Amino acid sequence: MAAPFIDLPWGIILILLPLAAAMAAFLWPSMAKAVGLVTAVAVVVAVVGLGWQLLDHGLYRHAIGGWGAPLGIELYADGLSLLMLMATALVGFAVSLYAAAYFKAEDAARFWPLWLVLLGALNALFLAADIFNLYVTLELVGLAAVALAALTGSATALGAAMRYLLANLLASLAYLLGVALLYHGFGSVDIAILATRIAPAPVAFAALGLITTALLLKTALFPLHFWLPPAHASAPAPVSALLSALVVKASFYILLRLWLELFAPLGAGAGIDALLGLLGAAAVLWGSVQALRQSRLKLLVAYSTVAQIGYLFLAFPLALASSVAVWSAVAYLALAHALAKAAMFLAAGNLLRFGGHDRIADLDRAVQRLPLTTAAFALAGVSIMGLPPSGGFVGKWLLLEAALTQGRWGLALVMILGGLLAAAYVFKVLGYAFTPAAVAHKSTAVPASMEWAALLLALAAILLGFMAPLLLPLLGIGEPFGANGAGP
Amino acid sequence: MNTAVPYALVGVGLFALGFYALIVHAHLLRKILALNVMGSGVFLLLVALARRSGVALPDVVPQAMVITGIVVAISATALALTLMLRLAAASGRAELPDGRED
Amino acid sequence: MATLTLLQSAFDILLGAALLWLAWRALNCPDLFKAIVLFVAFGLLMALAWVRLEAPDVALAEAAIGAGLTGALLMAALARLRAMTPDEEDSAKRLPLRWLPLAALLLVATGLSYVVLTLPPEAAGLGAEVATHLNSSGVDNPVTAVLLNFRGYDTLLEMVVLLLALLGVWSLGGPPLRRKAAPGPVLDTLARLLAPLLILVAAYLLWVGGHAPGGAFQAGSVLAAAAVLLLLAGWRLPVALTALPLRLTLVAGPGIFVALAVGTLLLEGQLLQYPPAQAGVLILLLEAVATLSIGVTLAALFLGGHPQNDNNDQNNKEQR
Repeated sequence: MAAPFIDLPWGIILILLPLAAAMAAFLWPSMAKAVGLVTAVAVVVAVVGLGWQLLDHGLYRHAIGGWGAPLGIELYADGLSLLMLMATALVGFAVSLYAAAYFKAEDAARFWPLWLVLLGALNALFLAADIFNLYVTLELVGLAAVALAALTGSATALGAAMRYLLANLLASLAYLLGVALLYHGFGSVDIAILATRIAPAPVAFAALGLITTALLLKTALFPLHFWLPPAHASAPAPVSALLSALVVKASFYILLRLWLELFAPLGAGAGIDALLGLLGAAAVLWGSVQALRQSRLKLLVAYSTVAQIGYLFLAFPLALASSVAVWSAVAYLALAHALAKAAMFLAAGNLLRFGGHDRIADLDRAVQRLPLTTAAFALAGVSIMGLPPSGGFVGKWLLLEAALTQGRWGLALVMILGGLLAAAYVFKVLGYAFTPAAVAHKSTAVPASMEWAALLLALAAILLGFMAPLLLPLLGIGEPFGANGAGP
Repeated sequence: MNTAVPYALVGVGLFALGFYALIVHAHLLRKILALNVMGSGVFLLLVALARRSGVALPDVVPQAMVITGIVVAISATALALTLMLRLAAASGRAELPDGRED
Repeated sequence: MATLTLLQSAFDILLGAALLWLAWRALNCPDLFKAIVLFVAFGLLMALAWVRLEAPDVALAEAAIGAGLTGALLMAALARLRAMTPDEEDSAKRLPLRWLPLAALLLVATGLSYVVLTLPPEAAGLGAEVATHLNSSGVDNPVTAVLLNFRGYDTLLEMVVLLLALLGVWSLGGPPLRRKAAPGPVLDTLARLLAPLLILVAAYLLWVGGHAPGGAFQAGSVLAAAAVLLLLAGWRLPVALTALPLRLTLVAGPGIFVALAVGTLLLEGQLLQYPPAQAGVLILLLEAVATLSIGVTLAALFLGGHPQNDNNDQNNKEQR
């Protein structure tokens, strides 16, 4: 094909390349690592290519099979999809780098095909424009995530993975039932077509309830978060990073997308936005307090995810008045959390590998012995706390601003309290990293690439704070929050 | 009489029965059965409702979706059963670990 | 005429009641073995319901996959479980708030029933769309047209789901504690007689899928049933084939789909857009490869562990 670089079908490459790579990695296990690393790089390139296309031509649409909706399936990308794809590509690249050193021969042969399927499924999910197609991608993401979470094979990990799988399957069925109701109520599974037809009928409210509950369970919003801490804490570190950074964001993205296009008018009328905000606030406080109480590092980081997910939902009651600013803040927060949380889990994995344990009280001068890793944890912590100049700061600031201008003091207070609690649990870890432990432990060397992968992500989370003028306009491509978004 | 609505209601019933069993039973094999029954309920509703107008032309798109769903269901079941057996081998019980769910 | 409709209605109501009753018994009878038997019976009645709903393709898939292979998977799992934890039985949890899930059940059932009853009587589906474009799809069976042409991308991803399940099962090391019981003479003879027959049925379903009920998934699951019978009778894949050749077959289904997607993208400009003249042939080719791949994948899921492990460590409780 003589097409110039920019005109390559990047959206399709993002889906098919990882899937093909997964099959190659499965067929030739000895080459799995090489295939995986090359694919991770190629996916970064493809996202850049897609972003370029979006900047040039606006919205991306591809009618698969040439049929187009409603008969066929379409692929779709706007600024919001692009941002999620960027998060996936960046985190995916760093985690791949990390995993290349983390997994040894036999484990590597198990890890790479599963991770590559997950990568392709995530990309397919972010590019989907069809609620049934989203169901299939959700199942792919869910099953791959469970198989990855069980990778260590310990009783704890297996129990956690089992609970994770059951929650996932229950949610998938509730989601599918919602899809069935929408199809029979309004005659399509294409989101754009549904958006023009949906009306406040009982069937629409039932679908809203089923789909929202299903996605809340998959996103682990308090009080449906019960499966997350054990699953994320007992997985191997690179998997924990993928689960916390990307997999929970995938279901959140679907919820956000469907809310923006279909459900906002219905949901706001029924007070569901207020309920989501309330649950979000409870998640921020509960998750942060639980994180503070943990004595194991990975559990602390997992509970921090429960809290940070809460922030994403604080936006729902605020969106009615100032939708573009609030939803941009949410997208920014999701991206910042993906980078920072992946960095934290990778750093925790380094500390675990180094000391053979992840007891926070026994971190034993980690700052001297693993300076890069401790720096990564601290920098990621800055973004999680929402301090300037990090990406987390931009997102939380925009959200706080919206809350204050709307006079929602309660929500503003929760955001500030959540930030203080986050500071408390981050400094708890850093404090122990500076103090020598009572008894000396033996230690194992940590490969440099594992330290650098964590630091790379943490730096990206900080750098994101300076990128707002560049990224916020990018997010506006196709006006995901504008014209047909959640307005009054 | 139109067959669509009664079968759709049976689908609703199966979904609810499966949901109930998923919550009250501890044994993992039973939970897996419950999820499969829930799935059948969703499938039944999906196909049955397509026939409620009773026009000559039945809408086959839901049928194709259900075939996709059946394949997804057996894939998930196979993975769940293996996970259950592995868990039983490691912990001696085919139940979820108690643990605090906070 | 009127009596026929009445009979049909009575049959529908009876079938619906039987489905609910079987599901309830399968989910609540104390004996797990009995529960699985009831579940398989439930699956067969589901197939009957699909026939009543004029969905023969789904009926075939349900009978072969939903009842048959899922039942075999459940039975095999239960046997392995009994070997590990012989005395464990299941009973409903003594929940302190027993009425809470019951209330949830009633709430879900009533709410959803209400919604179903409020739906407008005329269905707003895609039936007409499918009929209009059926001619240019390359096949005459509309379900096959939707699965492999109109919504072929879903099917591509679905093939990946199937492969993914196997990746997950193998990654877990398959089920622990595999017993190799000698098959009885009855099973042995039965397998020898039935397996070739099933393979013929699979080939027929594959061929007929273009214009009548059938297709790759139904054919693949019948093929898998043949393999399961042979596996039960003690047959094992020759060791030489368990490495790359087996993996190639497993990957072939999603693989050819991806290859076709790339090919059509390069030649026609759209993903999975078949040139109308060749659509029929391409779909048949796709289905033939997919059938083999689906059959082998489902059989491998039944076997559980990687066949290479199966040959050299039957007595290992813990493989890793």
